Amino acid sequence: MGFSILPKVFSQMFKKPWTNKFPDKYQPSNTTKYLKAVGDGEVKINPPIPTPPGFRGKIIYDKEKCIGCKLCIKVCPCEAIEYKEKDKKIRIYLSRCCFCSQCNDVCPTKCLKMGDEFLLADSDPYSKGLIVE
Amino acid sequence: MSQKTTTKTTYHIPVGPIHPALKEPVFFEFEIDGEKIVDVDVKLGHVHRGVEWASRKRNPIQILYLAERICGICSYCHPAAFTLGIEDAADIEVPERAEYLRVIQGELERIASHMLWAGVAAHEIGFDTVLFLTWEMREKIMDLTEFLCGNRVTKGIMTIGGIRRDITKDMIPQITKSLDYLKDNFEKIRHIFLDDKTVKLRSQGAGILTKDDALRLCAVGPTTRASAIKKDVRVDTSYFAYGDLDIDYITPDILTGEVNGDVYDRIIQRLLEIKQSIDLIEQCLDIMPNGDIVSEPNIPKLLNQLKKVEGEGVGRHEAPRGEVFHYVKLTGEDTPFTWKVRAPTYNNILPWIPMLKGEQIADIPIVAASTDPCMSCTNRVGIIKDGNRYELNKEELHRLSVEKTRRLMR
Amino acid sequence: MGNNKTVEELVKYFKDEFKTKIKSIDIKTRAAGSKKKETSTIWMKIDKTVFKDVIKHLVDYQYPHLPVVSGNDLGKNIELIYHFTVNYGERLKEINFHISVELPKSKPEIESICDLIPGALITEREKQEFLGVKIKGIPDDRKLFLPDDWPDKVYPWRRDETGPEKYYKNLHEVNKK
Repeated sequence: MGFSILPKVFSQMFKKPWTNKFPDKYQPSNTTKYLKAVGDGEVKINPPIPTPPGFRGKIIYDKEKCIGCKLCIKVCPCEAIEYKEKDKKIRIYLSRCCFCSQCNDVCPTKCLKMGDEFLLADSDPYSKGLIVE
Repeated sequence: MSQKTTTKTTYHIPVGPIHPALKEPVFFEFEIDGEKIVDVDVKLGHVHRGVEWASRKRNPIQILYLAERICGICSYCHPAAFTLGIEDAADIEVPERAEYLRVIQGELERIASHMLWAGVAAHEIGFDTVLFLTWEMREKIMDLTEFLCGNRVTKGIMTIGGIRRDITKDMIPQITKSLDYLKDNFEKIRHIFLDDKTVKLRSQGAGILTKDDALRLCAVGPTTRASAIKKDVRVDTSYFAYGDLDIDYITPDILTGEVNGDVYDRIIQRLLEIKQSIDLIEQCLDIMPNGDIVSEPNIPKLLNQLKKVEGEGVGRHEAPRGEVFHYVKLTGEDTPFTWKVRAPTYNNILPWIPMLKGEQIADIPIVAASTDPCMSCTNRVGIIKDGNRYELNKEELHRLSVEKTRRLMR
Repeated sequence: MGNNKTVEELVKYFKDEFKTKIKSIDIKTRAAGSKKKETSTIWMKIDKTVFKDVIKHLVDYQYPHLPVVSGNDLGKNIELIYHFTVNYGERLKEINFHISVELPKSKPEIESICDLIPGALITEREKQEFLGVKIKGIPDDRKLFLPDDWPDKVYPWRRDETGPEKYYKNLHEVNKK
């Protein structure tokens, strides 16, 4: 039957698993307590594997360079960018963003960049951490 | 069946819309006599999201990202076919280097999709070890995709008139390292799938699609090539850079010398296609010319150019599951007038009916999964027996399939 | 597959048989890659009275491959485009062949081709429910993609009063502050 796989299965028993132990080695029994402990500095979490260059994470917006041309609003496929009339700047809603980076390509002053951050989960789609402005 | 006379009646078993054997919601209704299937009826429409309607208020650049999210696994082939359709309608010329880069990305997606399918097929037969083995190899391809495109699944690398990211000289050692890893392990996968007695017992003779049926029902992709019909968009027509490469039709008789059109032939077909894809990527890396990667880098100018176009265009691409067909009609506004999407599984639904007639219930998962339907998994089967409703959940149906394997092994 | 016709021969094959009933024929070629190999496309518009004969003529030449049938709503008429491809099996020889038929909205009926090409069943059912075209002689009349309780006279692809505008909701505007 599976004689062809047996050698490989045996050798797997002695190899170290690939899995990166992020955030901790075993699942915590109470997640909210664990998160609170991390916030207070009591528990250290293992970092995730570093992302490759060119990874499309959270948008970084350089407000000084923006000229208010509204081109990024025209190409965004998710309608995630809003124009602020008074300041002539934009506001990006990350809960609708699909991280396609098309706004980066179109911006004439190159004020938008894709960063490295990807741990963005939140229970409220319009919370402070998910609006970039 | 509650009659005590000598007449025999048949059961009706509804399978779906949510079902473990298929990766997407589809509703089957089987008519069963004992354990054998007598008739099949298929109903669709459970994941209809109105994508074509959503395209009526978006300009072509926004539709590219909408098209990418039609399917998760074949997330490159829909923007590719849409771009081909727009370039056909608007007569845009694409630089040569971009055509070769598009071929490389398409073949990478094909390798990832076929390895995923190989794992799923092994899982349906009952070999979970092989599932983890093939998916471990697939992780290397996913890492390579993340390195080249920025994301593992929704690549976002297609644009009208070219491609968004280039492959520079310092990226090439990483690509060759991953391809060498695959080539070294390909022999191991081939040996596990094709030389194993149990796999042969389960899959040979099951789910046969004859050459005649495949031609008449207009089946596409590896399903029809495994029944010895030579239809492959990459070889038949010249698009991207396939006209320059050395490519030929792949049918199972290259390996075994004869074609039966059963599940075993489809396994052979997909493994041979993985090998062909690795070969094509290496050919592209050798002969790729230097130059631009996009014909019009200024996007507002491109959108204005597309606004003036009036015409129709058709784009066809060979996705891992078959032929993807997009039809676009532009009428001089900034949104297209019509966009018709035809995913490859739509043509592969009718062949399920002749394939499943005469099979046993425990064969339903492997036969349905062997055509690689592009849909998401579901979970419950309802059996109506003597007026009582039993519900079999995912574990039960899978258990039936695994038990049949154990019976065959004795 | 040794007797494949070229593009000109195929056009002549249809023109000889149907002469005036063909309204227009357009041939386009497109080149790709470094060696600039070409693929040809034929766009043909025909009168709806000879529709079934044209399809039979095509099946007599070679059994075609039918990817899909697409439709347009042109105001007064509904246009159905049948996309075919012929000459598969040999390298770089395939010809795309698109036949379009116009039907008036007052009487949108057309014959089914399921007796000649059984693989056309799914795409014909789709046209019936999305555009309101009545296909005569279709073996299976049920709805394909829309749910069973979808209202009767609403056709999602049309742009006139029978379109689905009333059912359209912009969900992300609902919760925005």
